[in-house]
Amino acid sequence: MNRKWIVCGALSLFAAVVGVSAAQAQSVSPTRGGTLTVGFLSDSKTLDPIYSVQFTERQVLYLVFDTLVKYGPDFSIKPELAESWQLANDGKRVVFMLRQGVKFHDGTPFDAAAVKWNIDQRLDPAVASPQRGQLEPVIDSVDVVDVHTVAFNLKTKYAGLVSVLGERPGFMVSPTAWKKAGQDFGGQPVGTGAFVFKEWVRGNHITLERNPGYWQKDLPYLDKVVFSDLAGSVVGAQRLLTGEIDYVGELGPQDIRQLEGKPGIALAPISVGRWYSLQWHMDEAPFNNAKLRQAIAHAIDRARINEIVMRGKGTISDGPTPAGLWWYDEGIKSPEYSPEKARSLLKEAGYPNGFEYVLSTPQVAALQQINQLAQEQLAEAGIKVKLEPVSSAEWYDRLVKGVTNFSPNRWTQRPDPDGLLYILFHSKGYANTTHYRNEKVDALLDQARETYDIDERKKLYSQAQKQIVADLPMLPLFFSVEYAALRDNVKNFVWIPDQIPRFREVWKAGK
Amino acid sequence: MRRLRPVIGLLLIAAFVAMALLASVIAPYDPFKSSVEVIDPPSARHLLGTDELGRDILSRVIYGARTSLIIGLGAAICAMGIGVPVGLVAGYFGGRVDMLVVPLIDLFIALPGLVLALIITVMVGPNLLNLVLVLGFVMWPSVARLVRGQTLALRETLYIEAARAVGGGSAWIIRRHVWPNIMRVVAAQFAVSVSFAIFTSASLSFLGLGIPPPTPDWGGLVRAGFDFLSLNPLMSLAPGATVTATVMGFYLTGSSVR
Repeated sequence: MNRKWIVCGALSLFAAVVGVSAAQAQSVSPTRGGTLTVGFLSDSKTLDPIYSVQFTERQVLYLVFDTLVKYGPDFSIKPELAESWQLANDGKRVVFMLRQGVKFHDGTPFDAAAVKWNIDQRLDPAVASPQRGQLEPVIDSVDVVDVHTVAFNLKTKYAGLVSVLGERPGFMVSPTAWKKAGQDFGGQPVGTGAFVFKEWVRGNHITLERNPGYWQKDLPYLDKVVFSDLAGSVVGAQRLLTGEIDYVGELGPQDIRQLEGKPGIALAPISVGRWYSLQWHMDEAPFNNAKLRQAIAHAIDRARINEIVMRGKGTISDGPTPAGLWWYDEGIKSPEYSPEKARSLLKEAGYPNGFEYVLSTPQVAALQQINQLAQEQLAEAGIKVKLEPVSSAEWYDRLVKGVTNFSPNRWTQRPDPDGLLYILFHSKGYANTTHYRNEKVDALLDQARETYDIDERKKLYSQAQKQIVADLPMLPLFFSVEYAALRDNVKNFVWIPDQIPRFREVWKAGK
Repeated sequence: MRRLRPVIGLLLIAAFVAMALLASVIAPYDPFKSSVEVIDPPSARHLLGTDELGRDILSRVIYGARTSLIIGLGAAICAMGIGVPVGLVAGYFGGRVDMLVVPLIDLFIALPGLVLALIITVMVGPNLLNLVLVLGFVMWPSVARLVRGQTLALRETLYIEAARAVGGGSAWIIRRHVWPNIMRVVAAQFAVSVSFAIFTSASLSFLGLGIPPPTPDWGGLVRAGFDFLSLNPLMSLAPGATVTATVMGFYLTGSSVR
C-alpha cells in the first residue's frame, strides 16, 4: 500500500536563514581550479566508511564518497545518490530510486546491487561494522528491485531511517574495490565522490584530486584538496594568518580573538552548536522535588553564563533543540532568571534555608567554567554547591551507571530528532541518565518515531519537548558556538549542523 | 655569595608567607567573583588582566599563596612525621629493623616523586587534604634515609656509647643526644621538602589533578592560562613566577642551613 511521496527539502525557509556563513557569495560565478589546503586536526584511523568511527574521518569521506541522501543546513533531507524514495507496505518498506549513470572511481557502475552490498556488509556480523548496532534493529533486509531501484524492508516503522543514510551508513563504497583491497581499503578508499583519493602520508597529509567524471555537473570546482595535519587549532590559526593553509576549524570564541578583523581572514561560526545543560536524577532526593528543580532553574542566569563562557556568542537555550533545526519550536520556553522566584520556590519546596549538594566536575574546560558560575549563582539562592572533580572518562561512566546525580552535560545534535530526544528523554533511551519517565512523553516519542509525515512529526516533537521542558529532567543552558576560519578567497562554505565541514562545493577566487 | 643565599631565601619566604597571610588585605578583588570582562589583557584596573571567568588574576595569584602554603607546610610536616621516627629507629637500632626499612626506602626513592604522586592522586581523587597526604607520603622516604644515615653515624660516637654505659635507655638517648644533633639537618630537609611539595603540587595541578575549582592554586592558574598564551601571556607567567620564587626561597634557605 503506497502512501504518498515524501517531500524532501521541506522548510526551505530555515535553510535560507541558517547556515549562511561569512564566506558566501553565491551571486558571483564560481572559479574553477586551485588547491584547498585544510588544516586537519586529525584523529583519523581509517577512510573505510564501513569501519569509520573517528570524528575527522568524515571530512575526507564526504569528499571521496557520496551518501544516499544528504542534509540541508537545517538537517532536512535532500536527494543525493538516491533521487527519490517512497514508502510501501504501510511504512515498513522504503523504496529508493537511484541516480543513473553514476560510476565509482574504479569505473564500476553504482547501482541497486551496490547499495544492497553496502548495507549487507554493515549488517553482516562477520564484517563487524560499528554501524551494525544502529542498523540491525531497524533493517530486516535489502532487495534489488531493478538495476536502479532498491528496497529496504524494515523490522518496524522507523521515520529516522532515511536520515541515517546521510551519515556513515549511507556512504556508498565500491564493492569491487573493497573486495580487491581487503584490509587495505581504509588506506585507499574508492567511492563515487567529487574527489578521488590520491595519497595519505600518516601524521602529515591526505591528498585528494578532482573527479573529472563526477555526476553532478560542473562540480567540483577545486582541482585538489589537501588535508594538512595540525598540532592544534591555535597553531592552525597562525598558519592561516601566514596563508599556509586555507581553513582551520574547532576554534572557540576566545581563540578567534587573534583572528578577528585580520585582513584576508573570514570567520564562519557553526550554525548549530552543542547543547549544554545541567542534569539530575528525577527519582532521587533532593531533585525528585519539582518545586526544587524549578527553583534551581530560576536561580541560574543563562544569559550571564553564555556571556562569560561563550563571550556572548552562543545562543541561550530554552530546550534541547536549537533554532535552525526543523523540529525546533519557538513556543518552548524555560524558566527565566529570577532570584526572588528561586528563593520563594525553594521555600515552597521545603528548603527555606537552602541545601548543600555536590556537582560533578569533569576535566573539560567549558564544563568546569559552567560549574563555577552555577556555584556562584546558586549560592545567591541559598544553595551551596561543592564541585567534585572527576576525570572526563570516569565522569561519563559514573553518569551512565547512575552514581552521579547532579552534573553538567553536553550533546551534539543528531540529524534526526529521534536521535537525541529519544535517547535522552524516553524511559527506554540508552542515554537517559536522569531516570526521567513520563508516559505521555514516551507515547509521543514512540508515535513520532513511526510517523513519516514531517509536519505531523514536528507537532509530536513539539508536544514532547513542551512536556520535557516543564518537567525539567535537564536544565537547558546554552548552545555553544565554534568557528571555522578561512582565507577570504575561499567561497561557498556552508555549515551543516553535524559540524563536519563539507568542501565539495567550495571554490577559490583569484589566484 | 654563600652568605647571601640564606638571606635571599628567607626574604623570599617572608614575602610568600606575608602574601598568604595578608591575601584578603592586599588582593584588589574578590578572587572568586566572576565578571563579563573575560580574558582581558593587563590594564590599570586589572594589573595582570582577567581569567576565563572574568576574575582578577592578580587577586587569584595572591590567594594562590594560601593554597601553596598549606600544601607545602602540610606535606612537609607529614613527611617529617613519618620520616624522622622511622629514620631514627632504623638508624639507632640497626639490625633487623634496619634491614626491613632500608629496602622499603630504596623502593620509594627509585620511583620519581611526581609519577608516584600522580598515580596515588588518580586513585584517591584530588582535593586539598589528599594532596597534602599524598605529597607527604611521597616525600617521607628521603627524610627517613637522611635521618637514618645521620643517626647511624652518631650511634658509634663515644658520647652515645658513654650514655649507654651509664645505663641510659634508648628513648632517652635518642631524645637527649641524637635528636639535638640532627635537628639542623632535619630543618634543612624540611625547607627542601616544602619546596618540593609546592613544585610537585603545581605540576599536579597543571596536569589537572590539583585543587578543585574555584580555589586558586598556582599550578592550576598556569594551566588555565596556557590556552590563552597568545591573548595574555601573564596569565600563565605570573603564577609560574611565584612558584619559582617560592620554591627557590625554601631551597636556598634549606641548602644553606645544611
